[in-house]
Amino acid sequence: MLSRNWRHLCRRYSQAVTFRTTEASPAQQNEKQIGLFYTMNQETCKQLFSQGGFPKSFQKQTKTFTETAIMIRQPALDLINCIKSSDFNKPAIRYVLYGEKGTGKSLTMAHLLHYAHEDGYLIVHVPWVSEWLRRLPRSKEMSNSQTHEGCVDLPLDAASWLLHFKGQNQHILKTGELKVSKEYVWSKREKTEAGAPLAQLVEHGISRVKYACDVVDALIKEIKTLSHNKQCKTFVAIDGFNSFFYPVTRLSTPTKKKVKPEEVTLTTTFMELTKNDWTNAVILLSADQLAVPDDHQESHFPRYLLYKKGFEHLDPFVPVEVGRYSEKEFLSCASYYRDRLWLRGPPEIDTELKFTSACNPYRFMEQCAPL
Amino acid sequence: MSHVINFSVKHLLPVTKCYLRGNFVSSFCKYSSASNSTSNSGNVLDNLTDWETLSKKKKISKAMKAYLERAQEHDEFMKKQQQEFAIGKRHLANMMGEDPETFTQKDVDRAIEYLFPSGIYDPAARPLMKPPEELFPARKAAEFDEAGRPHHLLFYTGKPNFFKLLYDAADNIKQLQNFEDRVIRKKATPDPNGALSLEGSVWLTKEQLEQVLVEKILDLEYDNFKVVMERLVSLPYSYRCKDFIEKYRNTLASQKFALEIPKPSYDDDGRAFITTYECLRKKARGDVTIRSPGSGKITINGKDITYFEDVQSREQVLFPLIFTGMQDRVDVECNIEGGGPSGQAGAIRWGIAWGLRSFVEKEMLEKMQIAGLLTRDHRRRERKKPGQPGARKKPTWKKR
Repeated sequence: MLSRNWRHLCRRYSQAVTFRTTEASPAQQNEKQIGLFYTMNQETCKQLFSQGGFPKSFQKQTKTFTETAIMIRQPALDLINCIKSSDFNKPAIRYVLYGEKGTGKSLTMAHLLHYAHEDGYLIVHVPWVSEWLRRLPRSKEMSNSQTHEGCVDLPLDAASWLLHFKGQNQHILKTGELKVSKEYVWSKREKTEAGAPLAQLVEHGISRVKYACDVVDALIKEIKTLSHNKQCKTFVAIDGFNSFFYPVTRLSTPTKKKVKPEEVTLTTTFMELTKNDWTNAVILLSADQLAVPDDHQESHFPRYLLYKKGFEHLDPFVPVEVGRYSEKEFLSCASYYRDRLWLRGPPEIDTELKFTSACNPYRFMEQCAPL
Repeated sequence: MSHVINFSVKHLLPVTKCYLRGNFVSSFCKYSSASNSTSNSGNVLDNLTDWETLSKKKKISKAMKAYLERAQEHDEFMKKQQQEFAIGKRHLANMMGEDPETFTQKDVDRAIEYLFPSGIYDPAARPLMKPPEELFPARKAAEFDEAGRPHHLLFYTGKPNFFKLLYDAADNIKQLQNFEDRVIRKKATPDPNGALSLEGSVWLTKEQLEQVLVEKILDLEYDNFKVVMERLVSLPYSYRCKDFIEKYRNTLASQKFALEIPKPSYDDDGRAFITTYECLRKKARGDVTIRSPGSGKITINGKDITYFEDVQSREQVLFPLIFTGMQDRVDVECNIEGGGPSGQAGAIRWGIAWGLRSFVEKEMLEKMQIAGLLTRDHRRRERKKPGQPGARKKPTWKKR
């Protein structure tokens, strides 16, 4: 046992200089560490991403590698610098991540979430919009909305998102500083009074799933006013945002009518959130080819993926491209995989892998898997 | 008196008979003839000295006779054939409107191909017109003299040429071993430069050896031939009988493409480039340009290697580059159309390999040849057959 640990340690630190950095705080990372991996704290990771947030393949990989190591890359550093230097009294700036499939948009977002968490932001994070609109598990539940005419609710999804929200922001919600500004009446007997802590609102949504969508709506409005009043600063992160603008969803009402994304209450809520009519917030969105069906994946640029409607909704925004690995990043990643025994064999295969994967991070990971 | 004479004759004859038998039986038996046996009178020694003239007068043996007849027949046949060929060639030249005097065999072949177009797959089965010497196999010359005595010392083995070859090889081995002994006694070492290199050649095949020897041989005999020759070659001083060895070896035609390698041209930046047109595979057609010094950039129809989605096609494209180790020393540009991904990738692979010939060394070229990079893949989709679901697939067999 001891010898095994010893070997493990040796392996961990023998090459540590080449591809790892000990700088675990995203706010402190700088240009010199580009291409290096930093290990995320297990507890933070659990708090932030236990309900989703990492792509599935990466989630599996963290389990295999028994650690959550994220590469520090240029787009993430640029975004952090931008956020640091921006003026929070001005309307919220919207950043749109875009890039080819598998280049690391979601992981860049995860990196930014870590930064936001460290910096004490209130995090409003939607792990994957298509989970709501395009995925149809057997337990999918739909009901007609009580408050919005002609709209459908996704109570279970909304409740699980509330759980996610609660988990991510538990340390802020626990303090109870954030108060609800007005009274919400849910039914004859149930109501949330003005001045109640925000956590109570969230709890209500989780326990009374029927009202979950309305609670989300109310919560988002509260958050907007709260941060506008400088009581907290908010970090909005929505992955696969372009899914809101694809003309149809996979959902259909009991009368077999196809549901449009505008007819889902959650859509309207998050559309409201991504407007720049409030301050003291950062809005990070991603436009992903994988969030829409195959027939709309010809290009990875935001104009194409967001349609005219989405583009005009977001305009003006800051596009941030997440590209493939550079030479240095690739070498660092290869040596990391070698350290994790994910990649084995003679060193010559590195060049071949670089060509066949075309430096695409996801393809590289997949191709190393059987090696 | 007459009685006495008779008696004497009676008693004399047996004596002479015995005398004759005892001394000359062997020679007379072999070359016996009626005239000789009757001339028992006179000097016996005279008979011996007269041997040369006597043998000339002798009748030729039956085997020789038969052979001569056959040879004559063959000669006549060949003569006739040659005449016919000459006449035919003149006719052909006239038909083609060319000068019969300067009409060569090449012209004949071309004319035949023009007049009798044939779609038969096997070239050997197509119509041809060749001089009779090429068409009819050579025949062995007489192996025995007029008296029926064989020329060759190994005639009675049945395959004199083959066994002579084995004999020579063994003789050479013995000589080389002797030579080696002498060298060792002088305490010298074998000359390293003189070592025999047999890299570019192989032993004659059985058919070729048969043609050389003008004899049919068995598989076992061919194996024996190879064993003996290998033993000869394995000796340290085998270069001393290089001529003998090389008579029975075929040089490989490996360098034939090396002569046709084009020289790269230079563009405005001073970079060497070479374009291979007509890169074909399955239904894909395209051209590949290789630029030398480069950084390993691959452009396919304006996109990079992501033009191909799957790993297999990407590997196909990269294989010649990685095989030659040029992956980050050249740039590749391809225009390709038609077919599917694997066909396009195969076409590009061939195009890159073909273009890289101008940029690699000779040894690498040979390695590429062996790896099959320079070989075109002519396979095409096989047509579907009526009555079955695919090209070869048969309907599911059901008993009833």
